[in-house]
Amino acid sequence: MAIIEIRGLAKRFGPVQAVSDLSFDVEQGMVTGFLGANGAGKTTTLRILLGLVSADAGTATIDGRAYRDLPEPLHTVGAVLEASGFHPGRTARGHLRAQAIAAHADPSRIDDVLDLVQLTEAGDRRMGGFSLGMRQRLGLAAALLADPEVLILDEPANGLDPEGVRWLRDLLRGFAAEGGTVLVSSHILAEVAQTVHDVVILDRGRLVKQAPLAALTEHGDLEDAYLNLTERQANR
Amino acid sequence: MITEIRTELLKVRTTRLSYGLLATGAGITAMFSILESARAGAGGANAPDPLYTTSGFGTVFSAGIWGLLFAAVLGVTVSTTEFRHQTATLTYLATPHRNRVLTAKMAAGALTGTVFGLVSFLIAGGTALGFTLARGYRVPLGDATMARFGVGHLLAGALLAAIGVCLGALVKSQLAAIVAVFVWAIIIESLIGGLFTATRPYLPYTAATNLAGTTLGGAAFGPAHTTTASGAPLPFVAAVALLAAITAALALTAAATTTPRDIT
Repeated sequence: MAIIEIRGLAKRFGPVQAVSDLSFDVEQGMVTGFLGANGAGKTTTLRILLGLVSADAGTATIDGRAYRDLPEPLHTVGAVLEASGFHPGRTARGHLRAQAIAAHADPSRIDDVLDLVQLTEAGDRRMGGFSLGMRQRLGLAAALLADPEVLILDEPANGLDPEGVRWLRDLLRGFAAEGGTVLVSSHILAEVAQTVHDVVILDRGRLVKQAPLAALTEHGDLEDAYLNLTERQANR
Repeated sequence: MITEIRTELLKVRTTRLSYGLLATGAGITAMFSILESARAGAGGANAPDPLYTTSGFGTVFSAGIWGLLFAAVLGVTVSTTEFRHQTATLTYLATPHRNRVLTAKMAAGALTGTVFGLVSFLIAGGTALGFTLARGYRVPLGDATMARFGVGHLLAGALLAAIGVCLGALVKSQLAAIVAVFVWAIIIESLIGGLFTATRPYLPYTAATNLAGTTLGGAAFGPAHTTTASGAPLPFVAAVALLAAITAALALTAAATTTPRDIT
């Protein structure tokens, strides 16, 4: 069953057509990799899906509704879009307290998610001193605070060390195994190949391919498949 | 809406900038309160009247305008911090209906602004009372007037902070919005009020300071500054209505223009 549905999505920023007639589905209980070069339209698509950017045409729904129409959005969707979206003067725990109030989440979850992302000891430190990897982990903690059904992540492995990348992989696979749905954009194809069930490939705002990972990698690795598909699209 | 306001109040409480602004406003208020109290009745062209006079006592109260000015700056930071630190994304993910966020920020800013107003009132009023009693004078203002000044400080702090929130939502640049607050209050209102004296009661910062007990022209700078009443300020309710109308106009403008813009 598709929990995320993108239909005929289009968005232009001035002279740049960021997304064109884009349609794809994300199935429940799956980790779906959202792949594309820089400027392919991944972030724009995710931001439209989350109601942060308005589409020129088309629809993007989660569980059949636009994000802004979800009754408890943070209980449905946890999102990490940028690791810099923290007030440097606020502590990690203070940040999560504000998020918990906004999400109507149980404050006792703060310790749980700090523990889950392995930031318990840094909980009372101001976020200005956090590394990129720590900010990514904190972003995930905030996304998981209200125990959502769907995770939408934009380049979550950026700044994570190898141990952190493995931790993230296990987290996402475990989340999907429990029935959750993950849509994750990434540049790290080798990592994506170890994490996702389905792949959506975007090039210059257009859908190139949506397929199960197993089908794409039947005759080679994901990198080869990705490059072949995007080069073929470029030659059209 | 209660949830959104609680969230915004927590954000204000968990950043050092809020306390820094309160401390700075309180410090400047204390400095000018003490300075004016010490100079009151000392003679000379620019010295305030003695503290046993209404005008002398009121001049000390005028120092509270600094705390009110910093309430407006606090309001600016409530909205612009979201753009300065790119936290608007998280805020709008939690509350996708952006006008609710703006309304909650105005409410949180106004509630915090009352704290700025209260602190200003206590410092300026306390200093004036302390110096007056220490010199063996009778306090020239009655309880009702003092109470009106107190309520005026609270309302002025709240409304200026709400105006600051809306200004920040419109301008988005924290530095530009803070500079705009100071330039408007210190330069533009002094210029307009000095050149066109009939407009004085209707200038927003002047009206806010009049609520808090400052005489018309008492909050102005340069040649426009007068420490004695040189005209009639707006009646209390009219001044509140004027500031509320300005707040509403700025909020509606922000809601129609900058607030719906894409968060990229």
